[in-house]
Amino acid sequence: MTILGEFALWISLPVAAWGMALGYAGGRTQRGDLVLSAERSIYAVFGLLILASAGVSAAFLGDKFEYWYVASYSNRDLELFYKVTGLWAGQRGSLLFWALLLGLFSSICVFTNRNKNRSFMPYVAGVLQTILLFFIVVLLFADVNPFERLDFVPADGQGLNPQLQNYWMTIHPPTLYLGFTAFTIPFAFAVAALLNGRLDARWIQLTRRWILTSWLFLSVGIVFGMRWAYEELGWGGYWFWDPVENASLLPWLTATAFLHSIQIQENRGMLKVWNMSLVLMTFLLTIFATFLTRSGLIESVHSFAQELKIAYIFLSFMGSVLAACVVLILYRLPQLRSENQIESFFSRESAFLFNNLLLLGAAFSVMWGTMFPLISEGFTGQQISVGPPFFEKVNFPIGLFLLTLVGVGPVIAWRRATKRNLQKNFSVPVIVGAVTAVSLWMLGARHELALVTWSISAFVLTVIVTEFWKGTKARARIEGEGYVLAFFHLITRNRRRWGGYMVHVGFVMMCIAFAGAAYNTDNRFNVQPGDVVEVASPFGHTYSLTYEGLSMSIGRGQRNLLWQAIATVSVSQDGGPAQILTTEKRQYTNRDTQPMTEVGIRSIVREDLYLILSALNDTNGALRADPGAQGIDLQVLIKPLVGWIWFGCLMLAIGTIVALWPSVDRTRAATRVATAGEPALAGAD
Amino acid sequence: MTLYLGVALVAAAVVLFILQPVVKGIHASLEREDDELTETEARKRVALLALRDVEYDFLAGKLDEHDYRSLKADLTAEALAALEADEESKKGAGGGRVGDDLEAEIARMRTELRAGGACPSCAFVNEDGSRFCSACGHTLAEAVTP
Repeated sequence: MTILGEFALWISLPVAAWGMALGYAGGRTQRGDLVLSAERSIYAVFGLLILASAGVSAAFLGDKFEYWYVASYSNRDLELFYKVTGLWAGQRGSLLFWALLLGLFSSICVFTNRNKNRSFMPYVAGVLQTILLFFIVVLLFADVNPFERLDFVPADGQGLNPQLQNYWMTIHPPTLYLGFTAFTIPFAFAVAALLNGRLDARWIQLTRRWILTSWLFLSVGIVFGMRWAYEELGWGGYWFWDPVENASLLPWLTATAFLHSIQIQENRGMLKVWNMSLVLMTFLLTIFATFLTRSGLIESVHSFAQELKIAYIFLSFMGSVLAACVVLILYRLPQLRSENQIESFFSRESAFLFNNLLLLGAAFSVMWGTMFPLISEGFTGQQISVGPPFFEKVNFPIGLFLLTLVGVGPVIAWRRATKRNLQKNFSVPVIVGAVTAVSLWMLGARHELALVTWSISAFVLTVIVTEFWKGTKARARIEGEGYVLAFFHLITRNRRRWGGYMVHVGFVMMCIAFAGAAYNTDNRFNVQPGDVVEVASPFGHTYSLTYEGLSMSIGRGQRNLLWQAIATVSVSQDGGPAQILTTEKRQYTNRDTQPMTEVGIRSIVREDLYLILSALNDTNGALRADPGAQGIDLQVLIKPLVGWIWFGCLMLAIGTIVALWPSVDRTRAATRVATAGEPALAGAD
Repeated sequence: MTLYLGVALVAAAVVLFILQPVVKGIHASLEREDDELTETEARKRVALLALRDVEYDFLAGKLDEHDYRSLKADLTAEALAALEADEESKKGAGGGRVGDDLEAEIARMRTELRAGGACPSCAFVNEDGSRFCSACGHTLAEAVTP
């Protein structure tokens, strides 16, 4: 099976090259047979990549340690689950997995468009095959072939890095990759539009769902990564401005900007070149993210390798794509003229434009900070990292402005807002924001940045809730519906608008949570069994924690565990019923790693209590089950509002799905136009 | 042996699958589909959707009477221009491809956009495209789109 997979990967190389050439040629000559062949080659490449991936998985499941990749990321004792997910545990498999997902999305795209949008499809097929070809070339020729064999067969593999043995780590990379690869489809349509000359908003309308799908996976994937860091890295944080975290944030920022700016093009026929640039930039950043993770150019907790060849290949590919697209945009520049101009500074258009500038500003600063070690190495010969303070200093103000715009955007009028329009819609929300700030101050909150964030959040939430309320009320009044039904119909009649607002609510919830970090507390104790310590929450209540004792288990290599120390702590809040929490140290057999920490988390809506077993007083004594060696260093963190990040993400996902869901009205309207030739106004109701 | 047979089979299947259209001359369609909007149709749709949004904003109390009227006047003019441009392009393309019914429909809508439609409840004259009467909020769907 594995050898068949290896051959399949080799066969996919000429097939992808063939498909690429025929896609462009078919588009240029308008020959349907060439186009059909190009489209079929996409299915073929996808099928071959399935075989190749199955080959890698078979090698993992069959403990075929003669393969370098399997020997490096697995061993006999590894749990079956992690053998199955071994495909994306390391660099080589990840690249294959990337190509596989791209093959999947490309096939879906070609299949769903087999009878429509035919003027785009030849070039779309050509572009998709170009990118598939690139990844196949990387896999085969950049010293990252997952099928590379060792000269000997090791008795066992080196096993999987223990930090990666966490379920979030198994779903976080695929989710991000889904986001990265899905964005290739809008990019392909954009290039096709440049090639076939249909430069109105059509390519945007055709790919709106793809854009949203990609954005959904990107957002959720990033939050999954935060969740993994929070649970597994054992220091209580969820974001460290690590290069790879940043690399996944970059395309998210530009994709978010793109999602907003396409609305101006659709509504007002403006920003055409800008949108082309954003789609190109986002696509390049998804490749850049893959490149950064996989090249190991910058030190990061994620980096898999330190190989220069692959770096050069990625850089030249990105450079060529950039050059080709810039030439195409310049060539089409006369057709990309704006149909309208911004009429007023106070208008929804300019709010969108500010949103774009802020997002791009954030993207630029993150990019700069991420690349700074390389830039500094170029000049001084030393890698200097800028660290979280830099990113925070730049991005907190940008984030606050963005948050404010989330409140301003929905109610400011298109074209030009009058003073009356602003007064009418902003008076109440501004008052609510101010009242929130004052009340929180009186309740004892003194951290300025957090206060400002919460106050703006209250303003934004008031605006959005008022929107929902006014819409529901108007609908209930006019259609004579009950409020629940009116609310439901309101959303289903314009999913895009109301789904968008729901996403905004999710974003606000996350901002509220981020500001909560200002009130994190960190308490360290050295405790013996039976000791009771008390920790005060910023919300005013007190936790009392009783250290019950340490239990050691000596593994005999099962699940690669050498030993495991579990500290049990019972927690009660304000003298309420006690609850048991555990935190662990684990020593794995297969890596020369420090013992790993497993944290204990107790979540309530307001805050998380986060326990870390920092160190054992006497590890050897504990291993001998010496009753006097049960003392530990216990770190107790209180993390206010952290749970809101996950709720906010859920809200954001629901909102995106609402916006994505095919609108019943529009489908019906489309059929009506097609069948009965009814007035085109159908689309407008 | 079985392995090489398998590889050969896979390779042969792939080659057959992708070469068949070229060898046998099977063509994929490159034609525009009937339900695909033309550029002018798309523009018309956007103009009408913008009108809908203004209606919504006014009904929801986000725009006051004065702002509503001035915005609506602009948008109506644009919608009218888009309708005319669309009609023009269809003539240029050699007759309506969706049929004469639609031609007549659009001509009628254009006159109504100019003339406005009276509300059956309070007789306030609304531009076509209004879902609800701007004066009393009565549903206009049947009144202006017979």
